[in-house]
Amino acid sequence: MESETPLLDELEKGRWPSFVKEIKRAAKKNKAALDLLRVEELSYKDKITHWKHGGIVGVTGYGGGVIGRYCDKPEEYPEVAAFHTFRVNHPAGWFYKTEALRKICDIWEKYGSGMTNFHGSTGDIILLGAKTENLQPCFNELTEAGFDLGGSGSGLRTISGCVGPARCEWATIDTLDITYDLTMEFQDEIHRPRWPYKFKIKISGCPNDCVAAIARADFTIIGTWRDSIRIDQEAVREYVKNGFDIETVVRKCPTEAISWDEKNKVLNFVPEDCTRCMHCINKMPKAIRPGTEGGATILVGGKAPILKGAYLSWVIVPFMKMEPPYSEVKSLLRKIWDWWDEHGRTRERLAELIERLSFARFLKDMGLPVQPQMVFRPRSNPYVFFRR
Amino acid sequence: MGEVSEELKQKILEYLKTVSKAKNRDIARALNEDKHLVDKAIGELSKEGKIEYIFLGTSFVKIKE
Ligand code: HEM
Ligand code: HEM
Ligand code: SF4
Ligand code: SF4
Repeated sequence: MESETPLLDELEKGRWPSFVKEIKRAAKKNKAALDLLRVEELSYKDKITHWKHGGIVGVTGYGGGVIGRYCDKPEEYPEVAAFHTFRVNHPAGWFYKTEALRKICDIWEKYGSGMTNFHGSTGDIILLGAKTENLQPCFNELTEAGFDLGGSGSGLRTISGCVGPARCEWATIDTLDITYDLTMEFQDEIHRPRWPYKFKIKISGCPNDCVAAIARADFTIIGTWRDSIRIDQEAVREYVKNGFDIETVVRKCPTEAISWDEKNKVLNFVPEDCTRCMHCINKMPKAIRPGTEGGATILVGGKAPILKGAYLSWVIVPFMKMEPPYSEVKSLLRKIWDWWDEHGRTRERLAELIERLSFARFLKDMGLPVQPQMVFRPRSNPYVFFRR
Repeated sequence: MGEVSEELKQKILEYLKTVSKAKNRDIARALNEDKHLVDKAIGELSKEGKIEYIFLGTSFVKIKE
């Protein structure tokens, strides 16, 4: 039989797993998935999208968490006439029991297209494609199962953190607890959007920054330490004895804080020069560890909007202790939000507002001291290209 | 921050009847009320199902139809 989607089929021939294949699989069980394929095919043929953004969708009490989508050809494709997305707040560090996953899938097969995206760029569990009349009952069942919606619109987006101390020896802060605690604290900011635009908080347990908090969050929390790295000289010698090229590590220390004394077989270290970049630690995990006095560096301003270009976030607090109930970070967040809400224009992200009113003004209004670590827009382009 | 009064909630609803949509900040300005209190009141009104949110580039609130 001739294929209904010859253009989409081309995508299945590429080198990587194709979303086309997955939607076809879903289409065997679900009519919405079949219509989705047909709409996509039409878009490829017409070279134009057949989706409209917006409209009013939501569940009682919530202004975020459901993203409205309508097809501009509802008569031809009735199953996807409304194809709304649920953003479901993911558990900190993305840890689930299979039981919980099955529960979500069951609910989603009952009320939606059955298609999901684990996990979306926001971090959320993304449930793709529900009809308007199914939103409230689906939300109710998700709530009963212990899940809540995440953020969308001009509000706080679902807070994300790396797996941190649950699985990773480098974490200098409890990313899971911070993620959970801030999520509970800022329910209104997540569910009832009211700011000029979106606001993201992401938390990495160490400077390796596995959740790319520096590039993707307006407010970035990155674990670091106040004392110095810990070096086990015996273990360093062991590396060298086994043929490890220690000069590759030394050469790449960005601040030349370490040097290898070949004669005495000692790794020299100048603590005040170390910027805690993790490079040497990643290369010699058995010999070098982060310090013991953990805390976090706070940065602001990461964003990647389409019109004005991307920023990486930059330091505003070089070191902050991170212990429950996290009062210091919470009060700083509230201050920043008030300032942004007061001065920000519609759709102006925090970084853009700071650029417009000046960084000096921002620091002054926040009551933060100027410090040498505050490099404004350390690099404005987060995309790194490698030449062959 | 003080507690949200029924009177404030009523004032917000009355105001929303005069506009198609509004942002919290603008409501607080128009009513000359504390913004934090207005935010809190709007949160309560949404949970009571009396207002709803719309997203048109940014989020607004309006009277629930
Ligand atoms: C030209 C068309 C579109 C553009 C430029 C666009 C752009 C975007 C952007 C920038 C985001 C990220 C937002 C954020 O997290 O801050 C996003 C998220 C999303 N969009 Fe669209 N979108 C388009 C069409 C669509 C359509 C047609 C659908 C569904 C039928 C859709 C579904 C979604 C979903 C589910 C997310 C959330 C994904 C996640 O958080 O991981 N989008 N979109
Ligand atoms: C037609 C054009 C585009 C479409 C349909 C689109 C769609 C999307 C979607 C669906 C996502 C969520 C991905 C996920 O689930 O993981 C996303 C994320 C994102 N998009 Fe695009 N996008 C478009 C163009 C762009 C452009 C031009 C830029 C930047 C110059 C951009 C920057 C981003 C960024 C930074 C994210 C991640 C946001 C985050 O991590 O929170 N997109 N986009
Ligand atoms: S950011 Fe650091 S602590 Fe978090 S998972 Fe990555 S290496 Fe581990
Ligand atoms: S952590 Fe980075 S800056 Fe510090 S000594 Fe190691 S490589 Fe150098």
